[in-house]
Amino acid sequence: MAQRTGWTEQASSCRDASCPKGSSHIFKVVLLGSSSVGKTSLAYRYVKKDFQDSLPTVGCSFFNQCVTLDAATIKLEIWDTAGQEKYHSVCHLYYRGANAALLVYDITKKESLEKAKVWLSELEKEFLQDEIIIILVGNKLDLSEEREVTVQEAKEFAKTKCILHMETSAKSDVQVTELFMTLACELLKRKEEQLQATHWKKSRINLQETTSHRAKCCQI
Amino acid sequence: MSLKSERRGIHVDQSELLCKKGCGYYGNPGWQGFCSKCWREEYQKARQKQIQEDWELAERLQREEEEAYASTQHPQGAQSLTFSKFEEKKTNEKSRKVTTVKKFFGASSRAGSKKVLAGKLREVQETKAASPISRQVSVETDRVSKDFIEFLKPYHKAGQEIYKQCKLFLEAMHHKRELSIEEQSEYTQDFYQNVADKLHARWKVPPEKVEMAMDQIEKYIMTRLYKHVFCPETTEDEKKDLAVQRRIRALHWVTPQMLCVPVNEEIPEVSDVVVKAITDIIEMDSKRVPRDKLACITSCSKHIFTAIRTTKDEPASADDFLPTLIYIVLKGNPPRLQSNIQYITRFCNPSRLMTGEDGYYFTNLCCAVAFIEKLDAQSLNLSQEDFDRYMSGQASPKKQEAENWSADMCVGVRQMYRNLDLLSQLNEQQERIMNEAKKLERDLIDWTDGVAKEVQEIVEKYPLEIKPPNPALAAIDSENVENDKLPPPLQPQVYAG
Repeated sequence: MAQRTGWTEQASSCRDASCPKGSSHIFKVVLLGSSSVGKTSLAYRYVKKDFQDSLPTVGCSFFNQCVTLDAATIKLEIWDTAGQEKYHSVCHLYYRGANAALLVYDITKKESLEKAKVWLSELEKEFLQDEIIIILVGNKLDLSEEREVTVQEAKEFAKTKCILHMETSAKSDVQVTELFMTLACELLKRKEEQLQATHWKKSRINLQETTSHRAKCCQI
Repeated sequence: MSLKSERRGIHVDQSELLCKKGCGYYGNPGWQGFCSKCWREEYQKARQKQIQEDWELAERLQREEEEAYASTQHPQGAQSLTFSKFEEKKTNEKSRKVTTVKKFFGASSRAGSKKVLAGKLREVQETKAASPISRQVSVETDRVSKDFIEFLKPYHKAGQEIYKQCKLFLEAMHHKRELSIEEQSEYTQDFYQNVADKLHARWKVPPEKVEMAMDQIEKYIMTRLYKHVFCPETTEDEKKDLAVQRRIRALHWVTPQMLCVPVNEEIPEVSDVVVKAITDIIEMDSKRVPRDKLACITSCSKHIFTAIRTTKDEPASADDFLPTLIYIVLKGNPPRLQSNIQYITRFCNPSRLMTGEDGYYFTNLCCAVAFIEKLDAQSLNLSQEDFDRYMSGQASPKKQEAENWSADMCVGVRQMYRNLDLLSQLNEQQERIMNEAKKLERDLIDWTDGVAKEVQEIVEKYPLEIKPPNPALAAIDSENVENDKLPPPLQPQVYAG
């Protein structure tokens, strides 16, 4: 019980203190990838560093993180997912309404990249190209001696699919913050483009005002 | 005696056998002396009369009730909202049960619904419950209304406006009651969106207060709508509920090991937390407001995380969480699971479902239910045969693990497992004996066959030649050629002496 209240306090303090309301947008980010590729560690590493030791001790599969970029403050909501093969069939429920997806694979396991490809194809079924930002993340860079997936290979695959690619190490904290900052930038860029598009639409056709509003709401 | 009565039966007068109505056909004692045709007519008439009487009685009662209500209501000058809800529920129930009566009462039920509207437009604070039943129903609703009004006070003008909007919305929802649940849901979602926009744009309410206000609005309207939109009859929700419940019951044998649940229930603290989690998820059904239901799910999830953490001594990830949640759902078998999920999806403020912590745990619950529905042998790391055997109840995996389970089992259960073991051993022995008996039987048959075969072979090898009987055999002595050479038979001699 004590732990529980601790968590809620943190959540609210995050909302109030580091996330000034009004200017903030909320983005939902899902972590996808087979089990033990380091999805949780990645999020944990990223959130922990900014929070120092104030991370909740109980749950570690849902994270809130605020990022300040230039003038805007955005809130990232990171949803960790179960990576086991058997839960694959129900995973589509997780990425409903997501703004971004991190496809995590293990650079020392070729197989995990193949899994990531499967996830990508499912995301493509669910979303249009400009509806979601996808980053292919090769984790465990600290084990690069045992590397099975070359940077070249992953980069080329990402290029053919028009998604971003990065390599990180959650363990030794390499490129983790960069990864999430890149994501935040992309999200904000996309959001601004969308807003402009809606404004443009609004100024032209009044009838569509309500529908465009609703669409906006669903994406947040 | 019996003979006599039989004879009397036969000697019945011809007129007594005919239909009582005198149509000329024969009657039947089973039809009270009527012929089949006349019986049918009579029966129908009697039934009609009965129905007519019932209607009259029902109508009279209804009139009396209405008069009684009117006399209690009028002095106060306000039709109670809660009472009208009660009355309307009553009429609903009536009309549902007896369709013919519904037609009969058509006029009065319409009048009733008008009254309901009138009641809805009046101030809630003025309401005084008329009957003990309606008072019971209204306690929570009343409390929520009061809270809501209290909450809106600091908003001044905006508060009044919000209140008016909610009232209008509830009224509109009442009209939409006949529509499909999807349309009602969409209308509700639009309402949330509109109010949130207005709070933002027109009344300039600061964002963090918007969230609070939205929660209160949701609480207020959903407490009122709950009865009509939770598990509505027009949907398949109830059927799905039962299906899920049956499915979970059929899966009672699933152990934490099969799901790879990283929770060790042998640790007392962990098993306490597991029980708390189960209680939370079961409690969800008792809440009326979607947000309160979500809070139950979240609380359940927190307990799960505590359980995992206590077992593993490291923070749990989603890889651990989902299997544990599935296990908790299987163990708890929460009532009306699908209805609750559907209700939350349809009537919760959408921004809460798509994002936020509550939304995350809710999504996990949806995943858990979807997984349970699809669950097969492969997902439990079992062979198809084992899975089928467990599903059909022919075998239980717990039996084999009786030793591992003994720690948290009561004596009776342990005894039961021991007995089961004994029974299965006996069963095995019996089977063995049966097999041996069969083998013996087969051997015996084989042996008989073998002997017969051998005999046959020998017979074939040494065929029995039956020579014609020797005619001379009878005169065995005739062949004796040297008969003549034999000395003459001794003659008795008399010796005088």
